[in-house]
Amino acid sequence: ETVLRVGSWLPPTHPQNAVVWPTWSKWVEEATEGRVKVKVEYGLGHPKTMFDLVEDGAIDASFSYHGYVPGRFKLTQGIEQPLLGVNAEAASVAHWRVHNKYFAKAEEHDGVELLALFTHGPGQIHMAEPIKSLADLKSKKIRLGGGVQGELGKRMGVTAVGAPAPKVYEMMQQGVIDGVFIPMSEQKSLRLKEVAKNVVHLPGGMYLGSFAMFINPDFLDGLSQKDRDAVMAVSGEKLSAMAGKAWDQGDREGVEAAKADGVNIIEVGADDSFAKEFRELVEGMDEEWIESVKSRKVDAKAALAEMREIARNYGK
Amino acid sequence: MAFSAWLSAHYEEKGPIKWLAFALELVAALTLFFLMILTCADVVGRYFFGNSVDGATELTEIGIAVLVFAEMPVVTWRGGHVVVDILDRMWGNVALKALGLLSALLMSGSLYYLGVRIYQLAERSLRREEVTELLELPVGYIVQYIAVMSWLTAALMISYGVYRLFTEERS
Amino acid sequence: MTTALIGFAILLFLIVVIRIPIAFSMGIVGFFGFAAVQGLTFENFADFNWKPALSMASKRIVDTAQEYSLSVIPLFILMGNLVTKSGLSQELYRASYAFLGHKKGGLSMATVVACGGFSAICGSSLATSATMAKVAMPPMRKYGYADSLATASIAAGGTLGILIPPSVILVIYGLLTETSIRELFAAGFIPGFLGIFLYLMAVKYVVWRNPEAGPCGEKFTWSERLQALNGVWGVLILFTIVMGGIYLGIFTPTEAAGIGAGGAFVIALARKSLSFGSLFDILTDTARTSAMLFSVLIGALIFSNFINRAGLPDELLTFVTGLDVSPMMVIFVILLVYIVLGMVFESLSMLLLTVPIFFPLVQSLGFDLVWFGIVVVVVTEISLITPPVGMNVFVLSAVLRDIKASTIFKGVTPFWCADILRLILITLIAQISLFLPELLYR
Ligand code: NA
Ligand code: NA
Repeated sequence: ETVLRVGSWLPPTHPQNAVVWPTWSKWVEEATEGRVKVKVEYGLGHPKTMFDLVEDGAIDASFSYHGYVPGRFKLTQGIEQPLLGVNAEAASVAHWRVHNKYFAKAEEHDGVELLALFTHGPGQIHMAEPIKSLADLKSKKIRLGGGVQGELGKRMGVTAVGAPAPKVYEMMQQGVIDGVFIPMSEQKSLRLKEVAKNVVHLPGGMYLGSFAMFINPDFLDGLSQKDRDAVMAVSGEKLSAMAGKAWDQGDREGVEAAKADGVNIIEVGADDSFAKEFRELVEGMDEEWIESVKSRKVDAKAALAEMREIARNYGK
Repeated sequence: MAFSAWLSAHYEEKGPIKWLAFALELVAALTLFFLMILTCADVVGRYFFGNSVDGATELTEIGIAVLVFAEMPVVTWRGGHVVVDILDRMWGNVALKALGLLSALLMSGSLYYLGVRIYQLAERSLRREEVTELLELPVGYIVQYIAVMSWLTAALMISYGVYRLFTEERS
Repeated sequence: MTTALIGFAILLFLIVVIRIPIAFSMGIVGFFGFAAVQGLTFENFADFNWKPALSMASKRIVDTAQEYSLSVIPLFILMGNLVTKSGLSQELYRASYAFLGHKKGGLSMATVVACGGFSAICGSSLATSATMAKVAMPPMRKYGYADSLATASIAAGGTLGILIPPSVILVIYGLLTETSIRELFAAGFIPGFLGIFLYLMAVKYVVWRNPEAGPCGEKFTWSERLQALNGVWGVLILFTIVMGGIYLGIFTPTEAAGIGAGGAFVIALARKSLSFGSLFDILTDTARTSAMLFSVLIGALIFSNFINRAGLPDELLTFVTGLDVSPMMVIFVILLVYIVLGMVFESLSMLLLTVPIFFPLVQSLGFDLVWFGIVVVVVTEISLITPPVGMNVFVLSAVLRDIKASTIFKGVTPFWCADILRLILITLIAQISLFLPELLYR
């Protein structure tokens, strides 16, 4: 029997740890008839460090957010581009398929073997005080995470404040920041429902955040051919879709928790002024991204088009 | 002339080591002062002018590493790390020096080998063009700095640190 | 379990008998322990794959040295050094002395109260101890206090830092367990003040046993006392800026360290108590202390990676779950585990390792997670002053180079007992923690 050690870093109650890893570990154990057992470990360090720890064999598998390692991961920002207009599950499947068809050869994940690619749910605007239009965000102090949020913040003219996600609660409570761009699930898991009482819920959100689940190649080589195939068979698109779905469920629970706590959620319709304003704001961002990944020598334009097509037709 | 006297009064080290200690501590001192100013500027800018210092968090992170590792060789060769001294009275002077030598070997050895791995990690990071979020500074350079300072600490501990251990009187 | 216990034993041997610096002992045992769990034996030493263990330790060094939230360590220490240099601390203590000096142990009491006040603005126990050591130690020495009592009141007072909000540890606990952070903050107040009160009792006990430890001074008249108050405006302004800034949301507790240092710098300039030479001394002194503290933190983190991998947390859970006793007994067993772990662990790594394991169990037994959070934080505080690896004690012996850790540990015993008493009270009477959150939010 082989133990597959997974390094994890979100709270144990987060869907990634409460649903995704346990489900996958059940799949792995079934597929290998109990020869491979998955064990989750916490407290190993910063999320960005997981890439190195898995590559060098200090742990066997893990997951991380691409935005924590800027410069190395550029192609993964394709799926994060605004106006995709789908949930995490659809986006995750598109992410996985397009990566394998277009981006894999650029070897951004050099050193680790990908198990899955997925996204968190749509990023929304969470504010202490209500806003009437996106123009109100100008000069507001907003905590921005990695990925495409920086560009969004720049276009909105916000005062960007950098901080790790677990710090957001404290900063909101004390008014150091006026708001944060983050998915709805964080109303529950980061407890924003206590401090960010006003949410602008755009259809499809403003952006998505790209994540990877990955495994050490030597660990895979150490398995029998049969077990290796079994592990990979329960990963890939199947795992990507499951992860996206679990994070979507997290978003739904976030919305419920927020509503139960009296958070004022403005549901923006596709033709409402907020949505129109947002479409104007992000005009041309995708082209800038295509330009920024030129050095990767992939057909980013076609990839983006295909990504959108897969995501928007998913489940139809 | 006055400066040289000040230097001798402040640094008990001898010859070139004195200058090295001063140079390292000057880097640490300037960095620390910069960190203080940076935070104040960031807060004042954000609160009064609606415009914080771009990448203040990143600069702070780099600053801490520069500060801590510039100071590391000096602290180490001076025997400045925290030791539990409950049994000191039981040991004789010779035994204490022997244990000191053992510590020096272990500290230098571990810093040397870790330095090698840290340097490799730095090269890998540079090869993959990893940068900081806002200022897009290459992450690998600061990691290389940590590796080099680990080596410097190891080298000075095993040479000057041991020399000090055997020449200084027990207090 | 055996591997972890052997690791503990070796660590203690290296620290206490071989007297290798703590940081390096923890790092070395953590490194080889990690390698051992990965399959290192005496036979395969030469051709062992060292990369995983080397990378684990290297990443701890690289990441910890660039951890933004740790910037509070150098900056708060710098603030303390600047405050001391500009003579503010002497004046603060002259005032405390005017009010409390005629009592036995009065300055120690003032120190405990001051630590409580500083805790309220600073999220970190290490920074509180290091800062207060600079401010409080010189005057206590001047007035003839025993080193053991003086340092112990700082070390113990420094642990208040993680309970009185804002508290980094409570936020982390809240996020790990999805517990309301504002309720946790509210719940921390009364136990925090109870801690101050019991520490004051501990000081009284020490000077009752040995009046020499905290000699009485002369008694001041009220007009002299008011006059002494004149000198403390500088500290009051600084305190107001730092406290007010945090509560008004102008800056974060992390940034407060930089603001506090900047404010102390301006005050020192205004009082003309700085020259280039003395500024350089203050900066380098701060840098040295910071380098030591970072080394200890890094060592502790490498060691905790090993303990984690050796499976100690899981086996503890199996052990506790397997006990056939009442729910309250389970809690006491958990607390016992914490106190034992606290002897060798640094508080943050202990929290990160144990809370994810224990809280589902505690929740399933029907206990309130806010209450458990406070209990866990109190027991973690105790670990900061529990020998042989009480982090606050080491901070003090690092900051005050001429005082031995053993002296501080000796002095700290009455405070440790006061903490145990508080732990029992808070554990048995949940209302001590839950009264405020229920009043305010439920
Ligand atoms: Na606090
Ligand atoms: Na301890």
